[in-house]
Amino acid sequence: MQGTELVLKALQAKGVKYIFGYTGGAIMPVFDEMEKQQHFSFVMPRHEQGAAFMAQGLSRASLSTEHPQVGVCMSTSGPGAMNLVTGIADAHMDSVPIIAITGQVATGVIATDAFQESDVVGVMMPICKQTYMPLAAEEVEKTIHEAFYVATTGRFGPVVIDIPKDVQLQQTAPDYQFNPRSFRPRLPGFYYHPSPERDVLHRAIGMINRSERPVMFCGHGVIASNAGAMLQEFAEKTNIPVAFTLHGLSAMPADHPLSLGMMGMHGTIEANRAVMNADLIISFGMRFDDRVTGKLNEYARNADVIHVEIDPSELDKNVATTVAINADVYRTLHVMLSDPELVCKPRRRWLKEVEANRRTMQESMATELEKGVGQEGKLLMKSIVSRLSDLTEGRDIVVPDVGQHQMIAARFYNFQTANSWFASGGAGTMGCSLPMAIGAKLARPDERVWSISGDGGFQMNIQELGTVMQLQVDVKIMILNNGYLGMVRQWQTLFFDGRYAGTPMQSPDYELIAKAYGIPYRKVTLLDEVEEALRFAIDHQGPCILEFICDPSEIVLPMIPAGGGFGDMIVSNQAE
Amino acid sequence: MTAKPMKRRAILAFVQDKPGTLNKISSLVRRKMYNVDTLTVCKAKVPGVSRMTITLREDDEAKVTQVLRQVEKFTEVIRAKELERDHSYWREVAIVKFELEEKQFKKLQQRYQLEVLDRQPHDIWIVQIAGPTDRLDGFLQDLGSEHLIEIARTGVTALEK
Ligand SMILES: Cc1ncc(C[n+]2csc(CCOP(=O)(O)OP(=O)(O)O)c2C)c(N)n1
Ligand SMILES: [Mg+2]
Repeated sequence: MQGTELVLKALQAKGVKYIFGYTGGAIMPVFDEMEKQQHFSFVMPRHEQGAAFMAQGLSRASLSTEHPQVGVCMSTSGPGAMNLVTGIADAHMDSVPIIAITGQVATGVIATDAFQESDVVGVMMPICKQTYMPLAAEEVEKTIHEAFYVATTGRFGPVVIDIPKDVQLQQTAPDYQFNPRSFRPRLPGFYYHPSPERDVLHRAIGMINRSERPVMFCGHGVIASNAGAMLQEFAEKTNIPVAFTLHGLSAMPADHPLSLGMMGMHGTIEANRAVMNADLIISFGMRFDDRVTGKLNEYARNADVIHVEIDPSELDKNVATTVAINADVYRTLHVMLSDPELVCKPRRRWLKEVEANRRTMQESMATELEKGVGQEGKLLMKSIVSRLSDLTEGRDIVVPDVGQHQMIAARFYNFQTANSWFASGGAGTMGCSLPMAIGAKLARPDERVWSISGDGGFQMNIQELGTVMQLQVDVKIMILNNGYLGMVRQWQTLFFDGRYAGTPMQSPDYELIAKAYGIPYRKVTLLDEVEEALRFAIDHQGPCILEFICDPSEIVLPMIPAGGGFGDMIVSNQAE
Repeated sequence: MTAKPMKRRAILAFVQDKPGTLNKISSLVRRKMYNVDTLTVCKAKVPGVSRMTITLREDDEAKVTQVLRQVEKFTEVIRAKELERDHSYWREVAIVKFELEEKQFKKLQQRYQLEVLDRQPHDIWIVQIAGPTDRLDGFLQDLGSEHLIEIARTGVTALEK
């Protein structure tokens, strides 16, 4: 068999249905074989970065379905592969399993600076989980199977396979054999430690039983191991409130009485105060990123820390643990839940304190939410997202971009569906939303998907409207247009004396853009048009674009300034 | 004011003998800004496996644990551990070319057990010296930099007792 056939055979064996790809010289043979076979649904982005984010959307959204799929993106060598870089680095930061297959120039000319040659393996190595370059047709199938294994085992991550053109065209030796069913990758250095050890678990349970003011952290690992329901059960059984990282959101219903909402830089008062005053932190599947912890030497000073994490290199990296549990979150919760020694304390005083903080939070937002508009009667993002949340009863899939609208969506959407929130967290890549939403919709066609972008981020991958148009992917696109790179503007307001360097931004006429792509469009400037526009999007079969004209002076609060401690939390805005 | 020199550590890693392994380790060192002094690689007893010895300066135990975990995280790294100073031998070799009068040379040779590789006219010597790092450093100090012409050092390799 030819290398190209083996590429597709391996992808098919791995259950791949969609290929997000953009052709070019060095990958043409694979595309040609794809055309012959007609087995895959081919999705063409309008930029390779779009392909990487679509692959992410597919992987992330399908993770919780009966048939998880791994997103596959494909590009040609040189510029094609380099355009994938941002999306792959983003997947690496957020532990998303995707496979990137890049064409490479033929082995005979590698390292001669051949036309469209880039050192893809060299570039990708530090920004993905693993890289491969098969050098013979016989290696292709094995490599792809191993790549899927590595991407989806332990802590997830992107894997890159760079295939020289001559290897794609090579025929295997006549005695070539490969049995995917009996194939086990030989990786002596690849550790995967899913089961928690008994003694550490017992110590953890003892600490939980003794604690008076415990708080649980729900990170991406809870989503990745489909452990949301179990986390909720554990919280209910022990009366321990749960704070979420950006990626932990939607693991549990957002309005659950024990949910504290998001913690960290733009976290809620109740979450951040609980962290500050806790005597015990039980953290599941997260990595104590600086947006979560703020100043490390002031972080949770009175708390012991139990850290459950599949990646041992995250343990004790930023925050010293009292008990480190290197294991899968699902399995750990499962064992802990059935441990007869686990005590169920009412923790009334602690929960009362949480309730009081929750009220403070609500009160601080009440006026704005009720008014719904800011300066010059322009819309507040929080009122738009709240209305969206109410109308959809929090059940839809939300894919934000990066900026103020993202933090506001995280805070004001009342998530009810498990695994329904796909954001770029670790990298914070503007432009991710539209392509990621396309991937999510393909993974979960029966659910409604909202892509929420700012005017800045939307223009970064605006070209993917072409993909929406061509495939009629039913994504409801919301542009929260405040005429600024709002999140940066917010920092300028708060920390740079209101000098708005490089943040005012003009937008094209989105109505004309929508028209050019044949996508229905509504513009919303008044508060009482919001609901109607959202209803229009809900009722309309197929993609549509809603543009909301927003108040640029809206500030996302609360906020812990970068490098600050939890004591520095800004709750109300006096600056503007 | 000069900072107190940090404690020297040695990490031994068994890694798969594959292209890219060394690249990954060295880029990790750069990315995480570890204070690495030496890094040596050689074949291990098992075919397809290399042993890598890394020496670095670090006082903070937690940081050393982080280095170990980050190194172990690579698929290509089979095992990594820290070598205790008292339970292992750390050695390196240097080839040194210098200019020195014979009388002084003899003194040094006796003290440091130099193996003479070559003697050239005008009091030029090429010698080999092996041993712990501080012995090599001691020799170089006694020799004096004004006499030194060129030096090649292997970096540390280590073995547990
Ligand atoms: C690719 C990229 N470039 C720059 C940034 C820095 N950045 C973070 S948020 C932001 C502003 C986003 O503006 P917009 O998309 O309009 O959203 P808003 O904050 O106004 O809601 C910028 C520039 C980034 N996160 N990603
Ligand atoms: Mg904006």
